[in-house]
Amino acid sequence: MSDELVTLTIDDKEVQVAPGTLIVDAAAAVNVEIPIFCSHPKLDPVACCRMCLVEVEGPRGPMLQTACSVPVREGMVVHTDTEQVQATQEANLAFILLNHPLDCPICDKGGECPLQDQTMRFGPGISQLVEPKRHKQKDYHISDTIVLDQERCIICWRCIRYLEEWEDKPQLALFKRGGATLIDIQPGQPVDAKTGGNIIDICPVGALTSKVARFGFRPWQVERTPSIDPHFSTGDNIRIDTRTYAIRRIVGRENMGVNDQWIADKTRFAWAWVNSDERLTTPLVRKDGELQPATWSEALQAVTDGLKRVKERQGADAVGGIGSAKLSNEANYLLQRFMRQIVGTNNVDHRDGGDVAALSTGIPSLAAVMQPQYGPPPQYDVIMLVGVDPSEEAPILDLHIKRAVRRSGTTLVIAHPRHIELTRYPGSYLGYRPGSEATLLNGLARMALAVKGEENQTVSQLTDDATDERLLNLCGVDPEAVEGAARLLVEAKNPLILYGPMAAQGATGEQVRNGLTNLAMVLDCYENLGYLGLNANSQGCRDVGVLPDALPGHAPLDDEAARTLLAELWGGELPTAPGKTYRQMLDAAGDDIGALLVMGADPAGERPEWAANLAQLDFLAVQELFLTDTARLADVVLPAVSWAEGDGTFTNCERRIQRAPKAVSNPASKAAQDWMILDHIAAHMGMQWPYASAQGVLEEITTAIPAYAGLDWTALGDQGVQWNAETVRPRPAYRRCRQDDLPAAGEGELALVTGTVAYDGGTLFRLTQAMRDMIHAAAVTLNPDDAAQAGVKDNDAVLVRSAHGELRLRAAVSEEIEPGTAWIPESLPGAPVGALLNGREQEFVTITPQ
Amino acid sequence: MALNDLVKNALEIGKAMGVTLKYLTQTPVTVEYPNEPVSLYPRFRGRHELRRYENGMERCIGCMLCEAACPTGAIYVDAAENDPANPTSPGERYAKVYEINLLRCVFCGDCEEACPTEAIVLGHEFAMANYDRHDFILNKQTLLNPGMPNVVIRPD
Ligand code: SF4
Ligand code: SF4
Ligand code: SF4
Ligand code: FES
Repeated sequence: MSDELVTLTIDDKEVQVAPGTLIVDAAAAVNVEIPIFCSHPKLDPVACCRMCLVEVEGPRGPMLQTACSVPVREGMVVHTDTEQVQATQEANLAFILLNHPLDCPICDKGGECPLQDQTMRFGPGISQLVEPKRHKQKDYHISDTIVLDQERCIICWRCIRYLEEWEDKPQLALFKRGGATLIDIQPGQPVDAKTGGNIIDICPVGALTSKVARFGFRPWQVERTPSIDPHFSTGDNIRIDTRTYAIRRIVGRENMGVNDQWIADKTRFAWAWVNSDERLTTPLVRKDGELQPATWSEALQAVTDGLKRVKERQGADAVGGIGSAKLSNEANYLLQRFMRQIVGTNNVDHRDGGDVAALSTGIPSLAAVMQPQYGPPPQYDVIMLVGVDPSEEAPILDLHIKRAVRRSGTTLVIAHPRHIELTRYPGSYLGYRPGSEATLLNGLARMALAVKGEENQTVSQLTDDATDERLLNLCGVDPEAVEGAARLLVEAKNPLILYGPMAAQGATGEQVRNGLTNLAMVLDCYENLGYLGLNANSQGCRDVGVLPDALPGHAPLDDEAARTLLAELWGGELPTAPGKTYRQMLDAAGDDIGALLVMGADPAGERPEWAANLAQLDFLAVQELFLTDTARLADVVLPAVSWAEGDGTFTNCERRIQRAPKAVSNPASKAAQDWMILDHIAAHMGMQWPYASAQGVLEEITTAIPAYAGLDWTALGDQGVQWNAETVRPRPAYRRCRQDDLPAAGEGELALVTGTVAYDGGTLFRLTQAMRDMIHAAAVTLNPDDAAQAGVKDNDAVLVRSAHGELRLRAAVSEEIEPGTAWIPESLPGAPVGALLNGREQEFVTITPQ
Repeated sequence: MALNDLVKNALEIGKAMGVTLKYLTQTPVTVEYPNEPVSLYPRFRGRHELRRYENGMERCIGCMLCEAACPTGAIYVDAAENDPANPTSPGERYAKVYEINLLRCVFCGDCEEACPTEAIVLGHEFAMANYDRHDFILNKQTLLNPGMPNVVIRPD
């Protein structure tokens, strides 16, 4: 295609647009509105509704053509307001309205409905139909969260196309013909795509509405706040609509650098927790063994006394702070400032923090993975996923990847202990044994070198442990498959490698990260190595220094420049000794750790063993939204507010700092923002911090972290700004990556695979009534062969036992689970998989029927 | 002088008594409300009522159009889904909360105009004095069960 612009005339206005532009878009460029229904800027044109007919002059006189599907031509002359066009528009609207019910007063689309608007603007103004209308199914649930009204549907295909073009899950289709045409699901197969709710946003009428938001709002009465998703690390842009102190709905918001305009169903529907009655609304202090309501000053004094007492008795390093990747940069920054400056310890970390060998730079960029309808293609021709399951962990990234695969021929190389959903695409799948990542990566690096036919002494030496035999026995992967994957990676022009916390935890985490770095260097794509966290602020939490071994800005503890900067900013000396990680603090709770300040984390609910440890603590203070298992053990519980109830910034997986302004508040609650709570504790401890607002804290962050310089609240805007990875990216270097042999599975033992699922039993999901049935059951999933061996069938009650503990679960049987493994996700309702773990890379379980 | 005054005053008294006598024979304007009915024009706009269908279902479907039409923001509606087994109103939607703040209302009748189901109407109740400000906020219960003001409708 040439870059030369095409010139055409629309309603006597001359316009120049790129070749290939559709008439409808060209018209929009000169402010000529052509009514549309089926056409959508993010979907392929189908031209099925005939609403956009315009006159195009041709050799045989003016012809009616669909503006949404005809691309512009040089010298084209288009008329959108002739008598013929108007007559067609009127006739067409009358035709569409023939069987459209008069539902506007009870329809959630009313007030923002293209059909209403266009009928008013382009319609005939009268109704000629007196005959009864056709009746079809109303209030029809095509999933737990999406309600279909077949009568209102105008058969525009948008929903069908979204599910087909973006989700690659054609779960809606048209049935019958003529006036009887129906939109429907396949019998018994509800729409279960993880981002299926987007069809509600794009339906041009009220045929598809949200079960969760149903009847709770009118478009003209809600207040709209641009915000971001609180669940996933992609930081998808949303709009929060509120009314009378409550969230009424959440819809997608366009950001072409992040989520196009799509959001996940969890984001769209799971917000009932914000307005839940279970929220904490007043501080609680333990008196006579019971948590009792208290005033803020009592509670703050109790925290001060508790922390001071333990510090005096056991020293500063007996106090620890646990932050959360679900909370804002501001809250986390102040937590680490509090621990480092006021308590004087580096014991500050969060889940998946110091225990995971992450990358300071996150992933390169989401835009580079995206394939928008109109826009540049993705930059990667091969995407490798190591221990990452985007379908569960980042549904919007999953959407981008699927689109890249289907529209731009990107190939996937997937290394995961489970047959994740993305393995349905051609490419390479390496189903390794959990815990054997390091060896597998060495194998890949070794074979990549061989495929390239290059000599590299260092790499050969570093990877000589990954023999074919070891790949087969230790990793459980066919060496030929490894070679195939290596070949794909070597032949790629620009491969992207992503890994997640599951692959790089614990003792071998460091080795795995080294292995990944080595592999990326062999492939000449060091900059394309990315780490994908699990939570909305996984990146930001690290950026602001909620790590036991790094100061804000990923500076090592002994980095002189950073120390001087912070000392100047905060005044006083900073502790030098590395602190304990999240797991270390919890393992040592009640021993070396005498007091913990936990903000937005629930370790007690994660592992029963930690709950026991926390109960031993001298002092435990918890900042929380709910009375979690951890909060129940606390001496002081400080009620906090959610991401929607206070200003804050979050940094997504591609280092984009985004704003989440206050959208809603509960006037009856005494809960406060996390940063403010910390500021008040500091004041009680005798330290006056200078913050007047969350923006003030951000202001300081932009000084404390060089990469954040200048990115204050105003500068971030509604689309956020990415910070430059080059400022902190470590120099590439080949490093040692080794691992010991793993113990072999005993008789009847299965390797335990765990990880995250989107629909878990956590508070943030469970409280949404409509989605209750979607929660992943408290089940262990087995390969059919293993299930047969253990003598269990689908849905049998089983006892899962490890060396460490046991859990009672249901059995589920699925081909997606590799033989020899058992899959139990985290945070299942009432079944913490943590009961089976003790922090080793690999855990074996036995399954006994009950 | 004194006689003059006397005559003048006597005349005045006579005049006044004349008025009294005149009205003594006429029917009085004062209405002993509520013991006696007040007569109103049919279009008189008094306190709101929410109406029902004959079968007892509420007419209001919680569409919030009255709320949108109200120039003073006196109406608050919150809608919810009908329980299909035990619906409050015909169709899928009903008003879970319906409140009118009489202190804001200017009795313009726009809500009545906007309502697609003729659910909200301005009735003939006019005695709206109250002792507590909160009592000026009418809830759905009150609106659905209006009292029977003692009125007669006079011809237009
Ligand atoms: S349900 Fe909505 S989006 Fe789907 S075809 Fe009908 S009108 Fe179009
Ligand atoms: S009568 Fe007028 S002011 Fe009173 S509630 Fe109705 S619309 Fe509002
Ligand atoms: S009274 Fe009428 S206009 Fe108001 S919410 Fe009910 S149905 Fe709608
Ligand atoms: S918008 Fe062009 S045919 Fe539907």
